[in-house]
Amino acid sequence: MLTTTTVLAAAGVMLGLALAMCAVLGWASRAFYVAVDPRVEAAGAALPGANCGGCGFVGCNEYAEAVVAGADVSLCPVGGSSVAAALAAIMGIEIGESAPRRPVVHCAADHAMRLGRHEYRGEQTCAAANLVAGVQGCVYGCLGLGDCVRACAYDAIHVIDGLATVDYLTCIGCSACARVCPRNIITMIPFKTDRVLVVKCSNKDFGKDVSNVCKVGCIGCRSCTRLMGEVFKFDQNLPSIDYNVYDAELDVSKVIEKCPMASLVWVGTPTPRHRELTENEELPERVEADFRTTVDQAQWRG
Amino acid sequence: MDHLAQLMLIAVSAAFINNFVLHYFVGICPFIGVSRKVDMAFGMGCAVTFVMSIAALLSWTFTYFIGRPGAPLTMWLWRLVAPGSTAVLDLSILNYIIYIFVIAASVQFVEMYLRKFFPPLFKAFGIFLPLITTNCAILFACLEIMKHVAGAADPGLVWGLDKSLTLAAFGGIGFALAITIMAGIREELEACDVPKPLQGAGITLLVAGILAMAFMGFTGVDRGLETVIFGK
Amino acid sequence: MTSQGPTAAERFLNGIIPENPTLRQLLGMCPTLAVTNGVKPALTMAGATAFVLICANVITSLMRKAIKPHLRILVFTLTIATFVTIADRFLQAFMPEMSKVLGPYVPLIIVNCIIICRCEVCAAKQSVGIAAADAVGVSLGFTLGLGAISVIREILGSGTLLGLRVLPQAWPNWGIQVLPPGAFLTLGLILGFVNWYSGRRAARA
Repeated sequence: MLTTTTVLAAAGVMLGLALAMCAVLGWASRAFYVAVDPRVEAAGAALPGANCGGCGFVGCNEYAEAVVAGADVSLCPVGGSSVAAALAAIMGIEIGESAPRRPVVHCAADHAMRLGRHEYRGEQTCAAANLVAGVQGCVYGCLGLGDCVRACAYDAIHVIDGLATVDYLTCIGCSACARVCPRNIITMIPFKTDRVLVVKCSNKDFGKDVSNVCKVGCIGCRSCTRLMGEVFKFDQNLPSIDYNVYDAELDVSKVIEKCPMASLVWVGTPTPRHRELTENEELPERVEADFRTTVDQAQWRG
Repeated sequence: MDHLAQLMLIAVSAAFINNFVLHYFVGICPFIGVSRKVDMAFGMGCAVTFVMSIAALLSWTFTYFIGRPGAPLTMWLWRLVAPGSTAVLDLSILNYIIYIFVIAASVQFVEMYLRKFFPPLFKAFGIFLPLITTNCAILFACLEIMKHVAGAADPGLVWGLDKSLTLAAFGGIGFALAITIMAGIREELEACDVPKPLQGAGITLLVAGILAMAFMGFTGVDRGLETVIFGK
Repeated sequence: MTSQGPTAAERFLNGIIPENPTLRQLLGMCPTLAVTNGVKPALTMAGATAFVLICANVITSLMRKAIKPHLRILVFTLTIATFVTIADRFLQAFMPEMSKVLGPYVPLIIVNCIIICRCEVCAAKQSVGIAAADAVGVSLGFTLGLGAISVIREILGSGTLLGLRVLPQAWPNWGIQVLPPGAFLTLGLILGFVNWYSGRRAARA
C-alpha cells in the first residue's frame, strides 16, 4: 500500500511539476518575447563562429547584428569571400569580389642583417624597446621581441632569428598582430593569389643612412618605380605596392632582379615547385623566444 | 536577535569558512574557466549568486512541502488513501531529479526575463547562464538545504526559508569572492614567467591551493562568533 | 546511425589514457578534488560514476532517435539524475560508512561534466555497443586519474594505503594533503608532470 502510493504519488508529482513548468516557461516565452530580426540569426549561422574579432566586433554574434544594422558585409577575414557572399545574399545586396587579407611584415632583416645592435636588458616587449634608443640601428624595422607572437591566438606568427615571420598556412587573418606592432610595420594585404610580391622594408631613410644600419634595407634607389611606375608608388624614400593595381599576371621578374637590396620579396604559401626544391634541405629550426609568459591558451571545458 | 545571529553565523560560514569553491570544491569548472579577467569573473559570480538564490527558493519549497518524510502535502495525500496508518509517506527520492529540473527551468526563465527587461545586463552576463545550469555549485546549495530540511534529525531543527536563502545567497557571494580574487591573481600572472608544463591549468590549481590555505585561516571564526554572541 | 569514426575497441582504449577525462580533458574536477583524500572513497566514487556513466550512455543511446535536439541536455540530465538516485540509495544501504564519507558528492555526479559530455558527444550519436565501450573506457580513465591522486594524497597525508600503514609511524602526516589545499596542489603538480612528460614525448617523436 505504502509502496504503491509512493510510486504513484512520485509519478503524479513529476507529471504535475512538468506540466506546471511547461506552462510557466511557455507563458514566459510569449510574455518575454523579444522580437529578433530573423536575418540576425541567419547571419549568425553564416558566420564561421571563430569569434576572433578580426571584423572589429566582439564576437560573431555582434558582427551579425551589425551586418543587419548596415555594416559592411566583407569584414570577416576568416570566412573571406564566401561568407561575404552569404551575408550579402541574406541582406539582399550585391558585392564585388574580395580577396582575403593576410598580414605582411615589412622587414627582411634578421639578427645577422641588422647593424648597430646593442644588448637590451629592459622589459622584453617590442612596445617597451621601441621607447628607448640604441636597441638596434634601424629605428623603423622589426625589433623581434615578440609582441605580435603573443597577440596571435592561432600560433601563426613566430620570431625566427629576431625577425617576425608569418606562417601563412596557419594564419586566419584576424589582424591582431598588425594592431599590436608598435612600429606599425605589419599591414594587412589582400592576397588575390597564394603568393604576392611585397616590399619587405619600412626604412624611410636614404642611401648610406640605410646601409649603415641594415644589410638588406631599401636604400630608396627608385629602380622599381622607374620600371613599373603604376604598381610601385614612392613616398619618403620607400616604395609601396598599390594592391588595387597589382595583379598576379604581371611580370615583375625584372624589378626583382633590379632591386639592389633584395627588398622585393614573394610572401605567402610556398608553391609546389619550391616545396619540392627544399624537400631534402634542412630548414632552420623554429626558435622559440625564451621568455615565456602565461598567456593561457588552454581550452576549458570543465 | 538570537535568530538574526543564527542567520549571520550561517552567512559567515557559507561565505568564508566553508567557502563553496575553496572548501567544498564545487563550481571548480567555472572557477578555473572563467577566472581570467576580473570583470568576467565578477559577472559570473553575480550570475551564480542570483541563480543560486532562485533555485534555493524553489527547491526549499519543494523539499519542505513534498520532498521530505512526513511533509505536509504528502501526509495529506496519505491520510486520504490510508486514514488510520502510522506509516510515513516519503517522497524524498524525487529530490535530486526535481532539483535539477528546477535549476534548468529557473535558468531558462531568468535568461528570458533578463533578455526582455534588462538587455544590457543580459549582454553582460547572459552568456554565463547556460553554463550555470550544470554548475555543481547551484546543485550543491540545494543539496545543503536538503540536508537540513529533509535530513534533519528532529522536526524542530528543520530549516526555514530564511536560513536556506541565507545559505544560498552568501554561498554565492563566497563563490563570487573566490572567483574574483582568483581572476585578479591570474591577471597578475600573465606578466610572470610560468614554466611551460604548468601553464594554464597547473598554475591555476596551485594558486587555488594557496588561496584555499589562506581561507583556512577563517576556521574557527564561527565558534568564536558563537561564543561572542551567545556567550557559550 | 553509426558514423565511420572510431570503433568500439578504439573508443574504449581512447578513454583510458589518450583522452583521460581527469588529466587531459580536465572534466569532472569537483569529485576529483573532493574525495581523493583516501584511496577507498576515491575508488568508491569512481565505481559509482562508472555505474551512472555506463547506464546513462546505454539508455541515451537507446533513446537517441526519439530525443528532440533542443531538449537533449535536459533529457540527459534527468536520465543521469535517476541513475544517481539509484546509486546513492545503493551506497546508503550497502556501504553506509562510505556514503557518509562521500556525503554530498554522490548526488553531484548528476552534474559531473564527464557524463554529460560523453552523452552529448558519443551516446547521442552512436549505437549501444559503441556507447557502452566508450563509457567503460572513460570510466577506467577516470578511475586511473582519481586513483593516482588519491594514492599520493593518502600516503603523504596519513601514511596509509587503503587503511594499511605503508609508511613508518614516525612519518609526520602532511596534514595539508588531507585538507582542501592539498587537493589543489597535488592535482596542479600532477597536471604539470603529465604536461611535461607528454611535451617530452612529443619533442622526441
